[in-house]
Amino acid sequence: MTAAAKIRTGIAGLDKMLHGGFVPGRPYIVSGPPGAGKTILAMQFLREGLEGGERCLFVALEEPPNELKINMRGFRWNLDDLDVLDANSDIRRFEPTPILEISTEEEPIKVRALGDRIRKTPDFESKEVTVHSLQQLLKTLLLKRNYERVVIDSITALKYFCMREFEEAVTTQSFMRYLAESKVTSLLTLELPEEGEVPPEAFLARGEIRLHKLRDETGIKRFISVEKYKGSSHDEFVYAFDITNAGIVLNTAA
Amino acid sequence: MDRVKTGIVGLDTMLNGGLLPARPYVISGPTGSGKTILSAHFLLEGLGQHEPCLLVTLDEPPIEVKSNMATFGWNLDRLKILDATPDIRAHKRQRSVIDVGTALDVRDMEDVTEIRQSSGIRALEVNVHSVQKMIKQEFAHHLERTKERYKRIVIDSMTALKMFSMQGQDSRVLTQSFLRFLAELESTTLIVSERLDRKILETEFFLSRGEIRLHKWVDGSVVRRAISIEKFRGSAFDDKMRPVSITDKGMVVYLDGPAQTRVASAGPIAGESLLETRLIDEVSNVIESVMKGIEDAHRRQVPIRDVEVSLSRAMLAFQRRNYRKAMKIALGCDSDLKERLRQAPPAPPTAIPPRPPLVAR
Repeated sequence: MTAAAKIRTGIAGLDKMLHGGFVPGRPYIVSGPPGAGKTILAMQFLREGLEGGERCLFVALEEPPNELKINMRGFRWNLDDLDVLDANSDIRRFEPTPILEISTEEEPIKVRALGDRIRKTPDFESKEVTVHSLQQLLKTLLLKRNYERVVIDSITALKYFCMREFEEAVTTQSFMRYLAESKVTSLLTLELPEEGEVPPEAFLARGEIRLHKLRDETGIKRFISVEKYKGSSHDEFVYAFDITNAGIVLNTAA
Repeated sequence: MDRVKTGIVGLDTMLNGGLLPARPYVISGPTGSGKTILSAHFLLEGLGQHEPCLLVTLDEPPIEVKSNMATFGWNLDRLKILDATPDIRAHKRQRSVIDVGTALDVRDMEDVTEIRQSSGIRALEVNVHSVQKMIKQEFAHHLERTKERYKRIVIDSMTALKMFSMQGQDSRVLTQSFLRFLAELESTTLIVSERLDRKILETEFFLSRGEIRLHKWVDGSVVRRAISIEKFRGSAFDDKMRPVSITDKGMVVYLDGPAQTRVASAGPIAGESLLETRLIDEVSNVIESVMKGIEDAHRRQVPIRDVEVSLSRAMLAFQRRNYRKAMKIALGCDSDLKERLRQAPPAPPTAIPPRPPLVAR
């Protein structure tokens, strides 16, 4: 695929590594240990879309949206028009009360309309997000709002908290398959343990961008690599990057 | 935004002023690394600001916490303490095992005088649900009595909570729910957690909004301690590992102390043979030396792009725990680079003089 037909990631150095950007309409994974910068990378991807007037959706499974908004303030990005879907499950009830699955009517909220305080679990019911209901909801939303870029933060939370009665590997695979068929360019974040095996989800997407976090006496060193990119050539090199006031900046000067 | 001070000056500086309010954070580290002392500083700081503070203790009975803290001369009398330590389990089959939630035991620290005796008839079972219910009740009572919300909460420890009550498959969901519960209280919470296995991704580590890690290792015949911030959402932070000591006044973080090195591989990591640990040590030394060499080469404008590419492979192999392969590539890089630097012209006079190349151990 030629570079012209690709869409930009929002990070100049990463576009260069991907020889132009992402092939549109496919799911990609951003993996890395906690604190590596996955959410920031995902935000830059959405911001790039917003600047080009695209409709973008952030599905929050790890962080309450109000905190996300506060966290991104430091970057001074204009995210007002970004839609955020709060897919954090409520506090679980232990009493045998009916559990409401997240409704397919649930609507995303624009960042500009997000409040500063966390949403509270109501007294008599508890919202639970399951992979099944989320997928239904996404289907409706994609039809209704024509999103061009979607971020799922994170696929790990989806697997850990939303697949109670499902077989994890098969369900994750089918979720990715659904994203691929929906023709939206999606970015899924994946938590990696600090050492050892990479979870199997990493191999399901069309491409994987991995963030590495190494510690030495000068502090935390961050690196980025493209582990896999189907349908395109890419840079094999591992680059160092920093998280600055402008987000992730690659050290490609070398 | 206002920051919540931890009460340890050096740590607050590392955190760019302190923690962001109303969020849960994890304090991790091995046994004896100072997690409970750090949390005590956090609570003491709150009490000093006249903020209501709550300690939920699952590991140590309150009386032990009290006497341990007395050795630092701290007055934690106004601290509310919620005793969620489990009773001695009654082995006889009983008619009713009440859970802790129905026998709320919250006291001011000053009223703590002795260990609570296990009830002869009924034993207190501790599980996530009961602890959650206890905190919720206490929160509501406190709000009613004083019209104030708890500003600071410490859960000591998550490891104990998980061990008592979360052995099933649901442990991830229960942890998620518990963290959600804590976040909705809108108090700044420290969750003490021992990291048991670096290869397993524990829920509280990626759901918490930040992780402060304490390190402890043996260096010759002395115990060394250090502190680092591994993750801190929504804020810049000092990413260096800083030396720590525990004095008679509590924990002190040294910001201008000597740089810490090789902590991760200082002692054999559980489950790894000594041989592998040494190999890890050596590979990381070689990689480090190559990285320094590369910096040097850049300064002297020696073209070494191919070395950088193969070093990146070595680092990837390292991360995937393929140490032998990493060693092989890294050694190749090292000799290549040294050769290249030897042939290259010396640095231009305006540049900083190059450091002598480091030799791998």
